[in-house]
Amino acid sequence: MRALKSLRGAKGVELTKLLLRVDFLALLACIALLAYLGLSFGKDMVLSVLLEFSIFLIVTLSLNIETGLTGVPQFGRVLCVTAGAFIVGGLCGRIVAWTLGKECGWAYAHHTTNYPLITEINSMLMTNAGLSVLIFIMYLIFAAIAGGFFGWLISRPAIRLREAYLGISLLAFGDLLYWIGYNWEPLVGATNAVHVPDPFRFIWAYRYEAVTIVYFLIALFMLFIAEKLVRSPFGRDLKMLRDCELAAQVYGRDIVKVRTLSLIIGGAMAGVAGSLWVVYTGSCYAGTFTRLMWTFWPWAYMMLGGIGSNLGVALGVLIFVILRTMIMIYRMSLKPYLPFDPVWLEYTLCGLALVIIVLFRPYGLVPEKPVSTLPREQIEEMLKKARERVKSS
Amino acid sequence: MIPPLLAAGLVYASGLALAACGITMIYMCTRTFNFAHANMATWGAYTVYTCLMFWKGLPYAYWPLAFLVGAVLGAVCYYTINGPLLRRKASDVTLMMSTLGYDLVLLSIVGMYVEFFERTYHPPMTPRMASLSAYDVKILGMPAAAIISPILAVGLVAGLYIFMTKAKFGIALRATVENPDLAGVVGINSDRVYLASWIIGGGLASLGGAVMAMAVTVNIVFGMTAIVPMFASSILGGLHSVYGAVLGGMVVGLAEYGITYLLSLWLGGMVHAYRAVIPLMIMAATLMAFPRGLAGVPWGKLLGRLRALTGGLGGVAPRGAGGEK
Repeated sequence: MRALKSLRGAKGVELTKLLLRVDFLALLACIALLAYLGLSFGKDMVLSVLLEFSIFLIVTLSLNIETGLTGVPQFGRVLCVTAGAFIVGGLCGRIVAWTLGKECGWAYAHHTTNYPLITEINSMLMTNAGLSVLIFIMYLIFAAIAGGFFGWLISRPAIRLREAYLGISLLAFGDLLYWIGYNWEPLVGATNAVHVPDPFRFIWAYRYEAVTIVYFLIALFMLFIAEKLVRSPFGRDLKMLRDCELAAQVYGRDIVKVRTLSLIIGGAMAGVAGSLWVVYTGSCYAGTFTRLMWTFWPWAYMMLGGIGSNLGVALGVLIFVILRTMIMIYRMSLKPYLPFDPVWLEYTLCGLALVIIVLFRPYGLVPEKPVSTLPREQIEEMLKKARERVKSS
Repeated sequence: MIPPLLAAGLVYASGLALAACGITMIYMCTRTFNFAHANMATWGAYTVYTCLMFWKGLPYAYWPLAFLVGAVLGAVCYYTINGPLLRRKASDVTLMMSTLGYDLVLLSIVGMYVEFFERTYHPPMTPRMASLSAYDVKILGMPAAAIISPILAVGLVAGLYIFMTKAKFGIALRATVENPDLAGVVGINSDRVYLASWIIGGGLASLGGAVMAMAVTVNIVFGMTAIVPMFASSILGGLHSVYGAVLGGMVVGLAEYGITYLLSLWLGGMVHAYRAVIPLMIMAATLMAFPRGLAGVPWGKLLGRLRALTGGLGGVAPRGAGGEK
C-alpha cells in the first residue's frame, strides 16, 4: 500500500514537471491553435498546415543531419531542394511524355506546348491509378538521386574548407541552380512555370486530402529514419566528428567518408522535399526556390526547436508553420490598419525569433540529449533477468 | 569616352569594394561573418533615394548620411546581439546565425518602409524599382559616379591605411586582431575595438550599397542579391586584409561586367542573365587555388622567385635583386 502511494507521488511529481516544461507547453499550444484553426476555418486550413509542416519537416531534418549532427554550416540548403524539384520538372516530366509518345525535346518546357501537353497527360492519368503510383515513385527516386548527387558535389569543398569559409561558399553556391533554372528556358521554363504530370489525379475530388496524408506519412517516415540515424553507430560517428575532429581521427574514423555520406543523405532528403513541393503545386517554377524560403526559414525552425534534436526540429517546424498560417489568415483583417502588407511581419517574426533564441535559449526548445546506449551483453543480461522474473512469478 | 557598361562596372566594383572592406573589417575583429551586410546595403541605398526624393540635389551629397545610417545599424547590432554573444565566447556559426536574424528584421523593415512610401507618395516615386543613376550629372561626357566612386574607394583605403598605421586607436585595433588576450594585458579595451569595427563595417556596408545603387536598379531584395558578390570579394581578398578586400571587390565587380560584356560579344545578349554566376566562378577558382585568398598568397616569395628567374635569363646577377631585402 505504502509502495503504491509512493509510486503515485512520484508520478505526480513527474506529471507536474512535464506540465511545466517549455516544450510540452509549446506542443499543447500548437495543438490548441490547430484545433482552433480547424474549428473556425474548416478542415482545409488544418490540411494546409499539415502539408506545409510535412514538406518543411523533411527539409529541416535534412538540415539538422548536416548542421546539427555533422557540424557543416549548411547555408546552401536550397541547392539540393532545387535539384530535386528541377529533376522532377525538367527530366521526369519529359520521361513521362516520352513513354506516352509525346513531345519531350527542347520545346517541352515552352509554356505554349507544355500546358496543353500536361493537361492531356493528366486527363490520361485520371483513369490510370497504377501508372500514377509508378510515376510518383519515380519522382521520389529521381529527386533523391539528384539531391544526393548535389550533396556529393558540395561535399568536395566541405572537406577542404573550415567553418566560416565553408558556410559562405555553401551560401553562394546555393543560388547556382536557381539562376540557371530562372534563365535557361529548356530546363524548367525560366520565367514561366513548367507543369508536372500529376500522380494524384486519379483520386478525383479528394486529391488534397490524399496528398496531405501521403506527405505526412513520408515526413513521419523521414523523422523515423533521422531518429534511427542518430542512434546508429554512423550517427555517433557524425556527432564525434562535430564535437572533436581530432578524436574521431584518433579512433580511426575516415573523416572524409563520414562527412561525404552525411551530406549525401541530407541532400537526398532535401531533394525529396523539393519534388514533393513540385508535385503538390503541380508546377515547377524556378522563382519559388529562393534562399530565404528554403535555407533561412529551415534554419530558423531548427534553431527554435533545438539544433541537433530531431523531435525538437519537428516541434520548431510545427510552431513556425502555425504562426505563419495565422499571419496569413489575419493578413486581410490587419490590412486596413497597417500602411504596408502584413506579410512583412512574417520576416520580422522569423528574424526576432532567431535573435532571441540565439541570445536566450541557444539550445532551443528541446535541447539535444546524449543518446545513452548500453553494451549488448548488459542488455542481454537484463533481458534474461526480466524473463526469469516473469517465469518465477 | 569609356563605354557606358564599363563605367557602370567601375561604379559597381567600387561599391563592392567598400562593402567587402566592411565585411572583412567585422570578420577580422569579431570573427563574425555579417549576413546583415545585405540589408545594411539596402538601407544605405534607400537612405540616398529618400533624401533625393525630398530634397533633390546630387546623390553624392547624401553619401555621408548613408554611412551614418549604416554605422548606427552596426552599433545597434553590436550592443544588442554581437557583444553579448562575444562575451559568451559563442561559436563562429552561432555568431553568423545571429546576424542572419538581424538581417531578416532589417529586410522586413525595408519591405514595410517601401510599401509605406509607395502608398503615401504616388508615382513618379517608384521605390520598388529605384534607379539612382538618373540623378547623376556628367563629367567629361561620362557619368560622374564613374569618376567619384573609384576615387572614394581608393581614398577610403588610403584613409584606413593611415588610421591603422598612424592613429593610436588604429594600432590598438590591429593589436586586438592579432592577439585579443595580449592586447587586453596592455590595457586595450577590446569592447571599444569591436564596437569600432561594427561602426566602420556597418557604415561601409551602407555606403557601398549607396554607391552600387548608382549602377544597378534598387529593389527590396537588392542586398540579398548583392551579398554573394560581396562575400566573394571578401573571400578573394583573404578575409584577413582590408586592402585585399578592396582589391577583391574591384576584381569581382569588374570581372562581372567585363566578362559578361566580352561573352555577350561572342554569344549574344542572353549571357547577361547569367551575370550573377561569374562571382561564384571566381570564388570557386580562388578557393580551389588559394584556400586563404589573394592576400594569403606569398606574393613576396613569388616576386622574388620571378625576379631571380628573369634576372637569370637576362644575365644580370640575381644576387643583387634578391639580396636587397
